[in-house]
Amino acid sequence: MQWKSATLCGVMSLLPGVHLPAVYAKQYVSVEEVKNIFFHGELLQKVAISIPPHIQTLIRKESGVRQPLKGTDVWRSAEGSWLIVDEVVGKHEMITYAVGIDSAGAIKGIEVMQYNESYGGQIRERKWLAQFTGKKVDNRLRLNEDILNITGATLSAKHVTDGVRRVMILYREYLKGYQG
Amino acid sequence: MGLREKKFRGVLLNSALIGASLFSMNTHAGEGYFGWVYGLDLQPMGKYEFEQRLQLTRGQETGTFDFWQGRTELEYGLSNDVQIAGYLNTYSINAARNYTNPDICDQGISPCTGGYGVQGLQHHADTFHQTSFDGVSIEGIWRITNPVTSPIGVGLYLEPTIGNLKNAIESRLILQSNFLDDRLQLVGNLVYEIEHLKFDVEPIEETVLDFVGGVTYRILPKLNIGMEYRFHNDYDGFSFGNQTQKAHFIGPNIHYAEKNWWLTAAMRTQIGGECWDPGTAECSMGKVWDGHGRNEYILKFGMPF
Repeated sequence: MQWKSATLCGVMSLLPGVHLPAVYAKQYVSVEEVKNIFFHGELLQKVAISIPPHIQTLIRKESGVRQPLKGTDVWRSAEGSWLIVDEVVGKHEMITYAVGIDSAGAIKGIEVMQYNESYGGQIRERKWLAQFTGKKVDNRLRLNEDILNITGATLSAKHVTDGVRRVMILYREYLKGYQG
Repeated sequence: MGLREKKFRGVLLNSALIGASLFSMNTHAGEGYFGWVYGLDLQPMGKYEFEQRLQLTRGQETGTFDFWQGRTELEYGLSNDVQIAGYLNTYSINAARNYTNPDICDQGISPCTGGYGVQGLQHHADTFHQTSFDGVSIEGIWRITNPVTSPIGVGLYLEPTIGNLKNAIESRLILQSNFLDDRLQLVGNLVYEIEHLKFDVEPIEETVLDFVGGVTYRILPKLNIGMEYRFHNDYDGFSFGNQTQKAHFIGPNIHYAEKNWWLTAAMRTQIGGECWDPGTAECSMGKVWDGHGRNEYILKFGMPF
């Protein structure tokens, strides 16, 4: 389902006396900054991929994440490293995050790029994000198993963990053997 | 608008304004997605939330029956799975010729004035108005399992109340399951409450056993809509030996959350009910009255900090 908050805000603004506040959106780090953080100047090229429906189904089944994986923001290096920017459902709005994967299929790093919630921001803490580094698709990548929860930010921690897992499934099923 | 009504609305407005001026504008969890159903979204440890509720029970058999209830609440996360809260409760009753049951209208004057909060001596008065500070409640919720990480979230709830209208102890077993990336919530509460009703000359003791349940879905960022249902049962005394009434209510809810506040509005309509002795005086037209009405409305405003 595509959410159309702007449309809703527009419609509600037409109602007499309704003055909606500006949409709050906090971008902490840009794609270019993420490239530098993960790949230190390595040249990355954007790749236009189209995830086949059967892989989408597999990703949804294995990750449990219902929000479709768009796969529109994907970059690859000549050495076979990947950068995927994805989003998952937050408490009120979407959480945008980036996953860097090295040529051996291990997670180079995770960055929370945009987080619009008013609490649960602890998921941006280095210590929590560092738990993902070095993990591969054969790891569980599940909250309260190999990824520790953040009490008070459980929903955000769970959704980002599930999101990283689905990105790694995308890597296993599609990106790893990508010949485009 | 009568003087009492003005006074009552002034109390509510003041309490909301005091709350707004006292508390800073950061925010956390603990949102009330439903009007009357309690979920397991609690305040994180060390965080507060100010909440203001305004409820109207409107319309009985005939005439006028408006029962306003105001509740000003402060919640606090004692731990990430235990939340405590305190309430200040106010009410306003405006009843006029709203009963026809001969057990109440017993001197040939029908319709007469009755319902929750109306003393027996007032049954033959044209109108009854009362606006007052009611009392206080405290509340504790223990979330045993979290629906975000468990298939079924389970919680226990306890709320003692001391008031002018009644003293009561309310307990709830809260069950919640989330689906579709936690955008869809199914929540049910089993409610057990013992009440000592004090507004009349002779106090009444009764037991309430309710099931309230609902569904809410986030159709857009920040915006949920849903439905909720109540199956209500009253029993005479502090046991289940003598049921006096049961009723069903259902209605929609809507919830909107901004970064620093949230708002929930809900209504439910009584779709039917029946009574048994000694509660038959509170029934007519296939519905139950006393503290219930044809329709109930609630507005809840929360401001975490």
